[in-house]
Amino acid sequence: MAKAFKYGLKGITGYLEPAERELLRGLLDDVISMLEPELSRDEDPLTALIGLDMNVKEPSDRALLRLLPNVMKNDDAASLEFRQLTERSLREGKIGALRAAAMGLDRNELVLTPEEAKLWSMALNDVRLVLAERLDIRDEADADHVHAMQDWSQAEDVESYLALVYNFTTWLQESLVQAMMASMDRKT
Amino acid sequence: MTTTVAPGTAAVTDAGLKGEERTDTAEQQSTDLLSAADIPWNLVIWNDPVNLMSYVSYVFQSYFGYSEAKSNKLMLEVHRKGRSIVAYGGKEQVEQHAVAMHGYGLWATVEKANGSGDGRGRKGGARG
Repeated sequence: MAKAFKYGLKGITGYLEPAERELLRGLLDDVISMLEPELSRDEDPLTALIGLDMNVKEPSDRALLRLLPNVMKNDDAASLEFRQLTERSLREGKIGALRAAAMGLDRNELVLTPEEAKLWSMALNDVRLVLAERLDIRDEADADHVHAMQDWSQAEDVESYLALVYNFTTWLQESLVQAMMASMDRKT
Repeated sequence: MTTTVAPGTAAVTDAGLKGEERTDTAEQQSTDLLSAADIPWNLVIWNDPVNLMSYVSYVFQSYFGYSEAKSNKLMLEVHRKGRSIVAYGGKEQVEQHAVAMHGYGLWATVEKANGSGDGRGRKGGARG
């Protein structure tokens, strides 16, 4: 069984069973592959280098749209223009955090520096956002419904399995954030 | 959207010149004629059923440097009212905040302080 993250003398530490690490690695890889921009052949290397992407569109996948939201509520044109300037680097930043967490899983001991903890919390959050879209969590009632699934012996279909995975990552992120808060308290 | 006309350089000089020219006509100017940097923009965080309350408060503390009390208050406002203005400033500044919030996975948008919104205008989200 995984152990909750905690803050102690060694810093922020956690423990995951090999199967749990494997599960988490798979989830991180899934979100990385969602976020990796498709490279178009006729792309101007210079604009790519400075992070511009003039071919970018609002994502049609709801989960991806939740990761890369419009910056203005009622102005699609302005949001798209902003997307051209910022989306590529936003994707790269997210991929960086997800990769950092995946690499952390390769180590024997789960001991996180403050910077690693921050990247882990961001990565786990993005994983949860994607799982929540797949589970169709639209409001607090949906979230409560999913949260009620706690028993792995109940996992009999894809949806209940996803719900259990979602609850596992939620629990992991919550314990990590609590450990990060404890480390912030200690410093101030 | 006038994203990349740097308000720090050309726009400021422009505004400075305008400032000397306009005296009594200034009142008649519509806000549309003011440079983008003159209009305060709000950074809005929206509620969603996924983000942890602890995480949202952590982001406000670590990114904006807000106190725990202030961060919790803003987080609860997001949670209960569906949205909260957590920062305001020039357009480029709040846009930068918005991208940072998207990096953390928070649902953030920017809007003109006096524009469509909850009608609270620029009083909503004093920083610091």
